[in-house]
Amino acid sequence: MNLNLNEIFDKVMFGGTMFALDKTLNLLAATFPEFKKELSKRDIRVQLKLRDNSFGRLLIFKKGNVKSKGGVFPDADITMQFENWDIARRLTFIIRDQMAFVNAAKTGSLVLEGKDEDSDWFSSLLLKVFAAPVIYGKVYGTKMPNGEMRYVNGSNGGAVFVYVKNGRIVRITPIDFDDKDAAPWTIEAKGKRFTPPKRTTVSPHTMACKSLVYSPDRILYPMKRVDFDPNGERNYENRGVSGYERISWEEAYDIVSKEIIRVRQTYGPGAVFHTSGSHHTWGNVGYYTSITRRFFNCIGATLDARNPDSWEGFAWGAVHHYGGSARNGGAEYYNTVEDCMQNSEMIVFWSADPESTSGVYGAAEGTVRRAWLKELGIDVVHIDPFFNCTAHFTGGRWIAPRPGSDTALAVAIAYVWIKEGLYDREYVATRTHGFDAWAKYVTGEDDGIPKTPEWQEKETGVPARVVTALAREWGSKRTYLAAGALHSFGGAGRQAYGTEWAGAMVCLIAMQGWGKPGVNFGCLQHGTPLDTHFYFPGYAEGGMSGDYIATGAGVNVYNRMPQSPSVNSNQQAIPRIRIPEAIMDRKTEAHIAGVYSQNSQFLTMKYPLPGHNPCKMYYKFGGSHIGTQPNSNRFVNMYRCDSLEFVVNQSIWMEGETRFSDVILPACTNFERWDIAETANCGGYIEKAYLQNNHRVIHIQHKCIEPLGESKPDFEIYSELANRLGLGQVLNEGNTDYDWVQRVYQASDMPKVMGWIEFLQKGYYVVPPLPGDRRDPVAYRWFHDAKKKDTPELTPLPSEYYGRYGEGLQTQTGLFEFESETLKRFAPDDDERPPIVKYIPSWEGYSSEARKHFPLQLISTHPRYSFHTMQDGKKGFMNEIAEHRLRIDGFDYWICRMNPKDAASRGLKALDIVELFNDRGSVLCGLEITERISEGVIHAHESCADYRPVGEPGKSADRNGCINILTPSKPLSKHAHGIAPNSCLVEVRKWDESRAGSKQAAAGKTGERQREAL
Amino acid sequence: MKKWHIVFDVDKCIGCYTCLLSCKDEHVGNNWLPYTDCQRKNDQKWIVMEKRDRGSYPRMDVAYRPKMCNHCAAAPCAANAPESVVKREDGVVLLNPARAKDKPELVNACPYGNISWNEEVGAAQKCTFCAHLLDDGWEEPRCVQSCPLKALRVVRLEDAEFKKLAKSKGLRAIIPEAAGPRVYYKNLQRFDKCFVAGEVAYYDHETETCAKNAEVRLFKDGNAVSKVRTNAFGDFRFEAVEPSSGKYTIEAELPGRGKASVSLQIDDSSVDIGTLYVK
Repeated sequence: MNLNLNEIFDKVMFGGTMFALDKTLNLLAATFPEFKKELSKRDIRVQLKLRDNSFGRLLIFKKGNVKSKGGVFPDADITMQFENWDIARRLTFIIRDQMAFVNAAKTGSLVLEGKDEDSDWFSSLLLKVFAAPVIYGKVYGTKMPNGEMRYVNGSNGGAVFVYVKNGRIVRITPIDFDDKDAAPWTIEAKGKRFTPPKRTTVSPHTMACKSLVYSPDRILYPMKRVDFDPNGERNYENRGVSGYERISWEEAYDIVSKEIIRVRQTYGPGAVFHTSGSHHTWGNVGYYTSITRRFFNCIGATLDARNPDSWEGFAWGAVHHYGGSARNGGAEYYNTVEDCMQNSEMIVFWSADPESTSGVYGAAEGTVRRAWLKELGIDVVHIDPFFNCTAHFTGGRWIAPRPGSDTALAVAIAYVWIKEGLYDREYVATRTHGFDAWAKYVTGEDDGIPKTPEWQEKETGVPARVVTALAREWGSKRTYLAAGALHSFGGAGRQAYGTEWAGAMVCLIAMQGWGKPGVNFGCLQHGTPLDTHFYFPGYAEGGMSGDYIATGAGVNVYNRMPQSPSVNSNQQAIPRIRIPEAIMDRKTEAHIAGVYSQNSQFLTMKYPLPGHNPCKMYYKFGGSHIGTQPNSNRFVNMYRCDSLEFVVNQSIWMEGETRFSDVILPACTNFERWDIAETANCGGYIEKAYLQNNHRVIHIQHKCIEPLGESKPDFEIYSELANRLGLGQVLNEGNTDYDWVQRVYQASDMPKVMGWIEFLQKGYYVVPPLPGDRRDPVAYRWFHDAKKKDTPELTPLPSEYYGRYGEGLQTQTGLFEFESETLKRFAPDDDERPPIVKYIPSWEGYSSEARKHFPLQLISTHPRYSFHTMQDGKKGFMNEIAEHRLRIDGFDYWICRMNPKDAASRGLKALDIVELFNDRGSVLCGLEITERISEGVIHAHESCADYRPVGEPGKSADRNGCINILTPSKPLSKHAHGIAPNSCLVEVRKWDESRAGSKQAAAGKTGERQREAL
Repeated sequence: MKKWHIVFDVDKCIGCYTCLLSCKDEHVGNNWLPYTDCQRKNDQKWIVMEKRDRGSYPRMDVAYRPKMCNHCAAAPCAANAPESVVKREDGVVLLNPARAKDKPELVNACPYGNISWNEEVGAAQKCTFCAHLLDDGWEEPRCVQSCPLKALRVVRLEDAEFKKLAKSKGLRAIIPEAAGPRVYYKNLQRFDKCFVAGEVAYYDHETETCAKNAEVRLFKDGNAVSKVRTNAFGDFRFEAVEPSSGKYTIEAELPGRGKASVSLQIDDSSVDIGTLYVK
């Protein structure tokens, strides 16, 4: 035998480690009682050995004690086998060499044999040797003088301090920075200096988190529907009606794992269907594109193909005029806050209410900056049928077009600009394509109808003189346009032909010289001068999914965080807008907007795929769809049909769809488990979304308290199920959630600036902003100046440039296309999405036939106080806000807002319980009468969390306020398959409680349009 | 000794209710005896946000005003129920939780409605200024700490100095000054006064046109009380008009286009006169 020095080193180190292992384990058990408890969980014999049996050591675990002896023994419960000395030493002694570990697992150089739950327990025990001082020694957080511990955690509305005493959360607060934290940036504009305060802000819903952790609606143990028997009668028709009984975790895991195997072996690929809401509790490891993704990849689940529901008009419309497919048609935002403050004279908010939506995840960070508008002398205009929260905060002219008519107003603005020469002719001549074609439509040269301010008045109800005045102001001032509250959202894009509105928005900005100083998209919400070079992954960047194809992991996470790869071999998916139809009809199809290229949305996704079965089991994560998806009685009907043999719901709270499952698995909140994140960084969805913040705050999410009741972290639930499917090590690589949190930290730039232990103690790090002369270039300035793209991002993809790489926009011509070449190629005669932007009256709007029966236009905007369904209801603090829900006769009703004239003509008073109805369904609300909404239009937020039908589910009124029961499932237009909930006609009447018990609880026609064709 | 005060700026409030939620967060489920027992989750608020819509489309606004214990220097509650009220040297007024038990009549000890009854603990309660936190070294109560724009802020000054500040900044209280309130409001006119607004337009040949930069004057009893100019949309607005102050006249003039005037009556709400056509 030839030994070289390396081998001697390996032998000494590995042999020594093995010899010391039992002693180390016993010492830790003596030090930390909780580790002793962990050690006591199994009486087991573990063989560690080299593959050729030339070295072996047996660990004997008995009653919380460990003994070891040398040699190889045939009767061990589990065996950990190393290929050779070198690998053995590297993996055990330098166990944090993740790349070596992952490589060894991939090549079979490290093998763990034995029962999955035993193997999983043992490998995580080995990692706990390293983590013990932290986890059991509790060296994390800050001890306060009064004996409370102060931890850090995150939320969908900002990072927070969490004060804990005696295992209970005492309070949750925004973070005031300390003297050691980086100083914020300063912007010099118009002779003044502006600096944001040294603290974090939070959204209202964040301040309600404690009440939701301790909500009486928390699910505290696994449950089974009382009349569901996996081995007998399943009584699917009783979903949503019959109650639940408590079962053990063992029984729950047993039912779910056996059902997964049964439906897969019975029906083949894609038989298990899985979806979650778009937003989850905060944190990179716990987010649903992380372990959830890996789990469902492992079982080849059919997933939902998502429509970009916040971006609809932009993704299906604007994208064809200029690109931006990676942002679903949204614009760049780099350094636009500084540019807007220094160079713009006006901001037009069009269907934009950042004070309500916080951009997305942006807390009140943008609010701080919009408070500077008056000092900066920047004029403001708000275009919205509703006098929204931003409008009353900033002031400025309020213009309220009828829902669905915004494009007419936009086209009339272009008309004034063309007639009066109020646009950037040179830019249009040199940087754009097809302007003449659009100008002919606008001026009426092609159809004989000049789109004058007077023409639009008939459609919008906005006086012609107001539109002329707006066009002249806009055409003569450097103007920012906020089309939606972030850079490209907006309820006006979520309605019939929303493509045309979003298209009109980019056409207007292009006419004014998009990228010129002071001319861009934004409203001081996105594009702060923070350091974009410091890397920390976004929460939707794939986390520990290992899925570098279907998540954002391929961009950064996969090569910075070594992990075994994961791919879903089943390619079947269901377009989210057609989930109920897919399940009930067992087939459906739709266009899907891809992010790599706008051309991919011309393909049609068909379900089921050839050779695949329709889905038979639904594993639902959370209960949001009835609140958030249009025409949502469809979902109720879907659950109550026989297509789904088994429904399991993994949820924190008993709400919405959770009430329609057969088995319920209780998950815990992010305050009860480990995670790690950055405020508002939803990278994977939106690149550099943290540029909404005044500070980059990267933070640990301490496990602040133990999970309530028997609830568990999602990570643990999936790991336990994986063990029963033989997938334990495949799923979590033998790591706990704490280990993965540390791996995310190591994958980021954090180790360069703050050690792990310091990070665990302090809990957060503020990335210093760059000095003024190193700030990012301004969005699209490069395009305006006809230079190579210089903004800090990897998209568009190289193949999306049809000319030289990096030069021009993501269009065939490389220019801004008033006349879209992609649409001309795909469907030049599509009168619902023509190659040039046109105003097309809504299929469910002011001039529709249906208005005879349902005369009110309903707009349902994102909620002001809750975050979609999150933090709504559940008997939390949010119910105390009288603008969120109205307490009438002891019930907290969702709010419908109506103009005094409409209320008077219906004999309605404030605080009446009213029924909103149409032929899709019926919803009860509390009535607020206000001038904030115009005559003929009513307002109610979308996304109520729970569904509480007064009678038979799907056939009676919902008392809790799921407004989406009323909205259409019809898409924007025949080829633009986004949702259009703001094209909705209803009637309102006073609720008569005697209707509650009857089957005809809602309007006589209820249900007729619960099935709507594409 | 310096006393704690709260100053609220109507202009900086976005109506996020974070103040209410953080008050709930601090006091629901936590008892801070001997300062106070727990607050009820439902049907009890120690800080009540009032909202006021003014005007109508297209000229309206919405304003908020929090209402809470004023920690009065001459606290009427202390006069009405001296055995139950603790007046601290730092200005904070507390109800003694033990002595406020089983005394629902204490709710009426505050003439301004800022004491409420908690059925669960059987005691009268109110805002404590988060005194338990101040005594722990906090610099602000919870409602102030979480307020995104610091529409709510604390001011710690001697009484005389605070009075000077209030006067120089135009701060007002919403209860009688004689009680010595320690909660003051800035830009309160947006909440409790009216505005008179409208739009000036003219006909340019056949075309209705917004009158930009027109001069608009407001007259009361024949005297000009205020003068503004219209914006690009022809809009004008007179702020801080006293409610129920009677008859006014508005005159608008756009040089080269003409004049117009209208009379109006101010009752208890703001008035939008609509469009005034100059000729």
